[in-house]
Amino acid sequence: MSEPTATATTTAAPVDGAATLSNPLRAGMSGEHIGDPCSIVFFGASGDLFKRMLLPAIYLMKLDGTLPSDFALIGFARTPYTDDAFRDYCREQLQTFMPEGQKPGGALWDDFSKRIGYITADFKDTAHFVQLKERLAANDRDLGTAGNHLFYLATPPPVFPVVVEHLRKAKLTPNDNTQGWTRIVVEKPFGTDLETARSLQKTIEHAFPESAIYRIDHYLGKEPVQDILALRFANTIFEPIWNRNYVQNVQITAAESLGVEERGDYYDRAGALRDMIQNHVMNMFALVAMEPPVSSDADAIRNEKYKVLSAIAPPTYAQVASMSARGQYGPGTIDGKPVRGYREEDDVAKDSNTETFAAVKFFVENWRWAGVPFCLRSGKRLARKVSEIAVTFKPIPHRFYGEKTDSIEPNVLVLKIQPDEGISMRFEAKVPGAKDHVRAVYMDFNYGTGFGITSPPPYERLIGDAMRGDQTLFTRWDAVERAWELVMPILDTWRDSKDFSFPNYASGSQGPPSAAAIFEQWRPL
Amino acid sequence: MATALTSPNAFDLAPVIAELRARRHARESIDVATMTLVLFFEDATLGDGARERVHRLTAKHPARVVVLDASHAAKRPHALTACAAHDACPAARGEWIELGVKGLDADVLRSSVAALALAEAPIVLLWVAAGAGDDARLSALLPLARTTVFGSSALAADASQLREVLAVARAHPEAPICDVAYLRLHPWQEAIAQFFDRKDAVDELFALRHVEIACSTEPEAYYLLGWLASRLEWTPCSEREFCNRFGTTIAFAIARKKGAHPIGHVELRSAATTFRATAADGDAPTIALAVSGALRHPARMRPIVDTGIAALVERAIVTLQHDRVFVDSLAMAGAILESRKG
Repeated sequence: MSEPTATATTTAAPVDGAATLSNPLRAGMSGEHIGDPCSIVFFGASGDLFKRMLLPAIYLMKLDGTLPSDFALIGFARTPYTDDAFRDYCREQLQTFMPEGQKPGGALWDDFSKRIGYITADFKDTAHFVQLKERLAANDRDLGTAGNHLFYLATPPPVFPVVVEHLRKAKLTPNDNTQGWTRIVVEKPFGTDLETARSLQKTIEHAFPESAIYRIDHYLGKEPVQDILALRFANTIFEPIWNRNYVQNVQITAAESLGVEERGDYYDRAGALRDMIQNHVMNMFALVAMEPPVSSDADAIRNEKYKVLSAIAPPTYAQVASMSARGQYGPGTIDGKPVRGYREEDDVAKDSNTETFAAVKFFVENWRWAGVPFCLRSGKRLARKVSEIAVTFKPIPHRFYGEKTDSIEPNVLVLKIQPDEGISMRFEAKVPGAKDHVRAVYMDFNYGTGFGITSPPPYERLIGDAMRGDQTLFTRWDAVERAWELVMPILDTWRDSKDFSFPNYASGSQGPPSAAAIFEQWRPL
Repeated sequence: MATALTSPNAFDLAPVIAELRARRHARESIDVATMTLVLFFEDATLGDGARERVHRLTAKHPARVVVLDASHAAKRPHALTACAAHDACPAARGEWIELGVKGLDADVLRSSVAALALAEAPIVLLWVAAGAGDDARLSALLPLARTTVFGSSALAADASQLREVLAVARAHPEAPICDVAYLRLHPWQEAIAQFFDRKDAVDELFALRHVEIACSTEPEAYYLLGWLASRLEWTPCSEREFCNRFGTTIAFAIARKKGAHPIGHVELRSAATTFRATAADGDAPTIALAVSGALRHPARMRPIVDTGIAALVERAIVTLQHDRVFVDSLAMAGAILESRKG
């Protein structure tokens, strides 16, 4: 099913016999492509995600001029607000979370706030969804939103199916929309395992075609993650060596020094493998390992991402022990300060068996990558916060240069995702002097010093893309399902075998020693 | 140390190049550079303002900056400072080379810029001087530059410097050029285009019969009119009218008024509908969009963003290629000017 577009060719007979055209003023216009007029409905608008991330992102788009002028925001949540009270709430949150110079005020805030509405709702009550339908129609009439509706599920995941089902019952699906488009944005996690993911998908696809579903992984909104494609496909020099003939291993790390903070209740049911590896890390994996797409179309890229994931054989239960490792942090020291262990955290069971560290080694069984280990790891309370992709190349095949005592290290290309976004390359250079000593040197590009700006917030890019109908940075169902298929044997094995060694790494350390059993050359944190 | 000059058309760059090399060895030079930015000016006051904007630009786009100061005689042929040491903009990064070039001929300038430019980075030329149309120095530098940026409305509020830009474009059709006065129009172009994004509004676009622009500086108004006319295939058929390809006339007017914004308002009228975009001040400058008549639309506000010189020049240098729409708009602005004999 294809979505109708709001700015389609006019069908009315034009004056002077001019040919019917889409807006000719848009031809060749440079600058940011602004999305279609639309209403965005935030389910769960009284929650943390909305006030800290989503509302500031939307307001920043207003300030930047990238938000459609004909725009409306509807909050839909249990906390009772009138429209005016919700506008005040939004203003308070923006006052708190927007930086100086971008606080709400003036004509732009007035225009923005008059486009904010709210429905106090019980997610299980269809009548409230009918009320939503009426509000959307009023927005189309009064605020120029042109029949385009973007539904954003910012609720806890168990509520997703409930909301989708009621949207269907209230006839708010794409199939019911004859005026414009209807899309739905779904936050992660998409399911808690393969079965729940499939069940959720079945519920959503009953109401929304894949072309209207936008599954958010905010890592894909980060500039350095997008830069993976730029590095690989906007340069000639890397692709010829981006394969098993030259690459020794690829390590993808998403390490944090923080603990679970206030997310103990959620995290104790999730763990590192579900929370990070199944989604963020696997998405980065796909971008690094995929074949070049034939175009920049969303599905051309997503096709290649799925293809490479489907070239990985899910581990058998017998293989899990040799290709995965897990850990749980105990007390330790971070940044010079003592911190408590995971089992002492709030809302965490005292005998919790949840892993706060997960490491996995996959092999992509295709011509490009056969035999190259892809080593993924993620954990909390590790030595430092770092997210990176490190491509280690093979050693030189024959050594004739350098003094005998020199150690010649393999080249390493590192894509640094956070905190120091950029790219670095390690290579060998001759040490100035009479002898032929060589040593490793580093060529560094940092976004901060190379472009002098910090990257725009991921949600600003992602919400804008959803309004523009660009699904490139959103995960397609087949890739989500495949990622679950790859981790399920590991999750099942871990569930069935209680690890009595927990906790097995100190906070502030490199992680559990067991990680070395699956891969010996982890980069130090 | 400066070398004594025996001829006003000689220039000794050896000390400058030696100093750059010494800085590199002392690790005082930048590690990343996106361009060599060449700034030329003749008026010292304009030059000071341009320097400040260039500093802000290099905070985001590290560069080697070569200032060709034609307001001073070449008594001190060069002064070399690191941007980081510049009080006006501690965030700026890069190398900063000041050359006094008053009285030096075009070929000396060309060879100096060629000698000082970074080998692997494009040259961007910012030309902040009147009379560009027949300036031999500009003609000598144009072929070196990946793009040349003019500021026609900074030099004069009337259209005189726009005519100079036009003359440059006609004399050097192959040279990528742009004008800050045009780049500044993007928020207005977006606002006007938005009026006609609706299916039922596109026909009104072809039914327009009157265009009025109020401005404080004329280049922007002529560019905006030129843009509109070139997109809609109008041609000037008199001092105050366009004709479309069916011979229907569309009246136009440019009214100069004092104001904080280069464009104060734009009004487009068909027989049935009026579209009005008006600049409004406040905490942040905005454009208010209003539609009245047969076709109605709720009132809207759009921000006017990125109109500082640094941001506009950034837009020019990021693309670094011919902007077809700009070329068409400039050509049409020229045709309008000629029809007005203004």
